[in-house]
Amino acid sequence: MPDGDANADSKRMQVLLRRFEIPLLQFATRITGDRERARDVVQETFVKFQNNGAFQSPEPATWLFTVCRNGALNVCRKERRMQYVDEELIEAREAGRQPMPFERLEEQEATGFLLKIVATLPPRQQEVLQLKFQNDLSYQQIAEITKTTANNVGVLIHTALKTLRQKYANAAKDFVPFTPRTTNEA
Amino acid sequence: MNIDDPRLTAYALDELDEAERAEIAHEAAVSAETQREVQETQTMARRLREDFAAELQHPASVVKAPLSANLSDIRDDPWFWSIARPLAVAAVIAAFAVIGLAIFGGYKLQQNKIAQASRHPTNLPLAAPSEIEAEMASPMIALRQPAAAQPEFREDFSRDGDIRTHNGKSNTADYGLFIENPFLAALDNPLSTFSIDVDTASYSIVQRFINNGTLPPKDAVRVEEMINYFTYDYPKPTADEPFSINVDVASCPWEQAHRLVRVGLKGREIAQDKRGTSNLVFLLDVSGSMTPAERLPLVKQAMRLLVEKLSEKDRVAIVVYAGASGLALPSTTGEHKEQILSALESLQAGGSTNGAEGIQLAYKVAEDNFIKGGVNRVILATDGDFNVGVTSQGELIRLIEEKAKSGVFLSVLGVGDDNLKDSTMQKLADKGNGNYAYLDSLDEARRVLVQQMNGTLVTIAKDVKIQVEFNPARVASYRLIGYEKRLLRKEDFNNDKIDAGEIGAGHTVTALFEVVPVGANANPAANLPSVDPLKYGTYSTNATQGDQRSTSSEMLTVKLRYKKPDGDKSELIERAVVDDGKQFANASADFKFAAAVAEFGMLLRNSEFKGSGTPGAVLGWAEEGKGKDANGYRAGFLQLVRKAQALKRG
Repeated sequence: MPDGDANADSKRMQVLLRRFEIPLLQFATRITGDRERARDVVQETFVKFQNNGAFQSPEPATWLFTVCRNGALNVCRKERRMQYVDEELIEAREAGRQPMPFERLEEQEATGFLLKIVATLPPRQQEVLQLKFQNDLSYQQIAEITKTTANNVGVLIHTALKTLRQKYANAAKDFVPFTPRTTNEA
Repeated sequence: MNIDDPRLTAYALDELDEAERAEIAHEAAVSAETQREVQETQTMARRLREDFAAELQHPASVVKAPLSANLSDIRDDPWFWSIARPLAVAAVIAAFAVIGLAIFGGYKLQQNKIAQASRHPTNLPLAAPSEIEAEMASPMIALRQPAAAQPEFREDFSRDGDIRTHNGKSNTADYGLFIENPFLAALDNPLSTFSIDVDTASYSIVQRFINNGTLPPKDAVRVEEMINYFTYDYPKPTADEPFSINVDVASCPWEQAHRLVRVGLKGREIAQDKRGTSNLVFLLDVSGSMTPAERLPLVKQAMRLLVEKLSEKDRVAIVVYAGASGLALPSTTGEHKEQILSALESLQAGGSTNGAEGIQLAYKVAEDNFIKGGVNRVILATDGDFNVGVTSQGELIRLIEEKAKSGVFLSVLGVGDDNLKDSTMQKLADKGNGNYAYLDSLDEARRVLVQQMNGTLVTIAKDVKIQVEFNPARVASYRLIGYEKRLLRKEDFNNDKIDAGEIGAGHTVTALFEVVPVGANANPAANLPSVDPLKYGTYSTNATQGDQRSTSSEMLTVKLRYKKPDGDKSELIERAVVDDGKQFANASADFKFAAAVAEFGMLLRNSEFKGSGTPGAVLGWAEEGKGKDANGYRAGFLQLVRKAQALKRG
């Protein structure tokens, strides 16, 4: 029974945090391939969001995903020529990059069979699929976020779905569902 | 039309403008191939949505400790923003720090803030920046600042004097985040599938928070564990079934137009003396963090209670784990109680924890002394701070999962507060064919280990799954209350490879559904966004019948699958239910009480589904539902609600 006397802005911010935090993290994780960095990116996204007043906008989703995506891509770019950070940090990050056994398990838990196939698609396709089917954004919104045209989004999704249907049909023969509660590795 | 036209996909996903939509609709009407293409695209889209949604439903895999709870608390703090706003660099550092805080110190701050807020209606400055920085010296930051000392920040936060439970240590309790089940349309989602649960830890944790003068963090409140903390008076099963299924329906007290459905299971009781011989291995955490009185000393007292109840043939071994793991007592029969008790007595806390080795050893001892047809169980007592050696949560869980195949069951007893890995322990118990209880006092230990000894020790059915099928002709939408962490896919119900919960002897398990009957005025929270009717009928796997709404008067059917404790093949029980229109006022005492507990949980979570309920109303229902209350637990609940009410007012 938390008290409800927070002002409207802070309420709205909280609602938005709750609504978008996990989807954004999942989105940034798929881009960076690293949860820790994804966390940083999402954190920065929310800080920017708060500061520039964008959270007042009636449609925050596009804004959030755009900034989050830029941040995640920046991280990826920087990583490739990251010599100036002290070695300790790099080491720690390198260590963090290799999936720990528990991460693999967790991933298996959280990831449906279909998402395993999604992971084999080209990054651009993965990205639009996630925006479309996890976040229910329109072609137009996705186009804005990924800086392309709605037509192109349509082609990406169309191609991705084709490939998925095909691979899914092939794989479904020996399908064992991945769920949190599988006791047999079979 | 070329089936490789992206517009077809866009059409299937409803992304076309009116003109193009009409064009393709026309195309689809005449071409079977186009029709099939659209249908298959939609099927794939639905699967994708489900799997992507499932990914969000298991946010633990994305983020071990979610930012939002902590971030939103900190956000209002003037200090935080005065630094963060002007300086981009500072923002990044803050981001880092907040994340560290979220992971390693998160809810303590939250908890203290709640406590503060309840005392001071206006915003107090939190603490001096240096202290916050110090607090944020999580391992992640410490990597860069190895010199960062363990600060005594606690002093300042607890200045008002009401939080004394933390002993100045960094608080790393970890309650996995989850999102409440929404209302689902019965037409689209007629099946609700989940694993049963007899864990009760959440209630004890909630109780501890409230007794300490703060409201619990939202994610520590798992409504199903609160409901199942209490036993309900369901009829005993008939001789050949391991449990009875009982379903009743009455109006929903927090939403008059809705119906509340209670599904209750009652496990077969086994008399104390009919229990098979026990082979117990106590696996006790004796690491340094276990020193406080409410940890190792409490565990020792609890184990003593249990040992006193054992017969001469029962066996007990004690394995301890800390820096080095070891066998503190080889498997010893109940004839030598003195020996067992003195081994328990001599245990001392010290060192750090390597849970994995201890678990290996404990299961080995249990397997070496395996009693066929008896009770073979490892009882793990810990504050959950597995942090040395090869240990990662996943490895531990994998280990337990592997060990569970040996036929040895697991009980997890959680103690302590500030770094209780609540979600880890819950998971360990789940994977280890076990149960999880949180011991906050000797009374609770007595409840779990003595009064419900057989329920805790003797498993009568395992992998128990419930699937409820709602009749869309009667039910517009429904919501499963709680069990968020126990949902299964509908396909999992008939898949015997899928693990699920266990029922102990005499245990009762209760699940509640809030149901919106067809034609009822739904509460806004139960309002589902409207979806256009499917043009080509339903695409579900049994779609051959199309959309034929059943004319049956039944409201729902409960199906239950379970395996015998040593079986691999599941058995099925079914029960159809007709709603007889009962009013809540005429419902049984147990029904009222379960509803009261559920609503209390939803109020604590500040759930959007809490409806019109208030703490006062909860008290009223619980009072009416108190019944005989032989053990006084229900009276304890009433007290707890009153305390929480006072906190709210504070």
